[in-house]
Amino acid sequence: MNNISPKIRIEDAVGLRLAHDITEVRPGEYKGPSFRKGHKVRNEDLCHLMRLGKRHLYQLDTDQNKIHEDEAVLELAAALAGPGVTFGRTPHEGKLQLKAAYDGLLKVKCEPLIDFNMIPDVMCASMHNNTPVKKDACLAGTRAIPLVIDRAVLDSAVLTARTHAPVFSVKLFNPLKSKLIITGNEIYDGLIEDRFESVVGDKLGAYGLTLSESVILPDDEARIAKQIQTYLEDGTELIITTGGMSVDPDDVTRESIRRAGADPMFYSAAVLPGAMFLLAYKGNIPIVGMPACGLFHPITIFDLILPRLLAGEKPDNRDLARLAPGGLCLNCPTCHFPNCSFGKSG
Amino acid sequence: MDSFEILLEGSAREHGHLCPGQVVGVRMAMLGCERIGLNDPRNSLEEIKKLIVYVEIDRCATDAISYVTGAKLGRRSLKFIDNGIMAATFVNLETDIAVRIASTETSRDLAAKYAPAIIGKGQQQLEGYKRMPEHEMFVIQSVKVDIPIHDMPGPTRFKAVCEQCRTVVRDKKEVFLNGRILCRTCGLGGYYTVPE
Repeated sequence: MNNISPKIRIEDAVGLRLAHDITEVRPGEYKGPSFRKGHKVRNEDLCHLMRLGKRHLYQLDTDQNKIHEDEAVLELAAALAGPGVTFGRTPHEGKLQLKAAYDGLLKVKCEPLIDFNMIPDVMCASMHNNTPVKKDACLAGTRAIPLVIDRAVLDSAVLTARTHAPVFSVKLFNPLKSKLIITGNEIYDGLIEDRFESVVGDKLGAYGLTLSESVILPDDEARIAKQIQTYLEDGTELIITTGGMSVDPDDVTRESIRRAGADPMFYSAAVLPGAMFLLAYKGNIPIVGMPACGLFHPITIFDLILPRLLAGEKPDNRDLARLAPGGLCLNCPTCHFPNCSFGKSG
Repeated sequence: MDSFEILLEGSAREHGHLCPGQVVGVRMAMLGCERIGLNDPRNSLEEIKKLIVYVEIDRCATDAISYVTGAKLGRRSLKFIDNGIMAATFVNLETDIAVRIASTETSRDLAAKYAPAIIGKGQQQLEGYKRMPEHEMFVIQSVKVDIPIHDMPGPTRFKAVCEQCRTVVRDKKEVFLNGRILCRTCGLGGYYTVPE
């Protein structure tokens, strides 16, 4: 498998320095290196190594065209890690984890990552594109597969990653000044109590933001449009509206947003819950229409789009359509989002 | 490693005065080195290359820790984590053994027990800290520190250019904001303002 030589019989290996970490797996108990690269094999290690199934050990070939996995993976990680992405100094079992240098939105260039993985003898597996991540979160793992890798192959992998750099990056979130317009005659008239403010406030709070202001309005197209215009002119950077997104005659919020001058405006998304989601822009200011499903479902399309808006992106109708595979929430009895398939469209 | 007395004298000289913080720092550093298996990194090139020290406060003890260990900001062997806590973590890069040592808050009052004849709180702490047992002076924890590659000593491995001010940013300290690579001052705001 490896271009290394020679193999040393375990009985003759006392004094040999190990060419790589030797992994031990004890089901349900431990998986990790029992012997580290460079360890000098002692008499008392032989039984342990044999229990791990070792009958031979490798002695490294020092051919300068062959690169040890530990050196190779440092080059691979450096080529893959863009801004906001870092990695440890020491490979473990030949692998390195790429980590977030700060809180933000993970961006993965998927096609270049596939190209990278098409190169024999290297691999990289990652979290999904557009995942909000915390500082130090593990984003990806990479390694050279064989114990030693040809310099030419390694160079090719590094070139592929660098050509499309950054394959991985983390975008900082902007602390957008956010305001909320809650629409609905039933709330305005006091027939039911509003719950949108706390729902939206909590979701913004997860990113360290607070609502600068919220207002409750009746289903009055002119009044809602005027309020949006007011916010557009007072330095608001993210306008969120709730309710009025459906097909009832009283649902006028969508038209209000249009009347306020939003253009472009994308209505409907390939996500359940969230089919009646609206995303519009006036200049660079996003205006979000959150449908009533946001009251019932703890996680909706709003949770998929909000981090991208905070990261300064301007998703469009193509981006909303791209959410289709993975856009179906399974309504699990216990919600495990984001550790589930919802929103993981690649 | 030199004796406690010699190290304290040198540390006080470097720091500018002898104070309780010097005693705490010297003891902390001696203990830290011992726990991670280093004998005298300040005077050994081989050992200093194995050592990273994280300090969590920028007060007197930090200078003592730097003096005793030889760890320095400019060498990238000393890291300042602005926690406002009298604590330091000593990492042996070769073995990955790391120990965090924090000064106990109770030691401040316990100083009187160990130096009852000394007048004056500062002087009493200075002498008391010399005599106090380790377990009353410090909380010692074995820890794991996953040091990112951009924080390692050695030549600069990573450079980026701020797309706003064109400053070169080293060691992956740039940020990615709204599609632009920026230095932290341009991206997050600076600690200074420029007068109009």
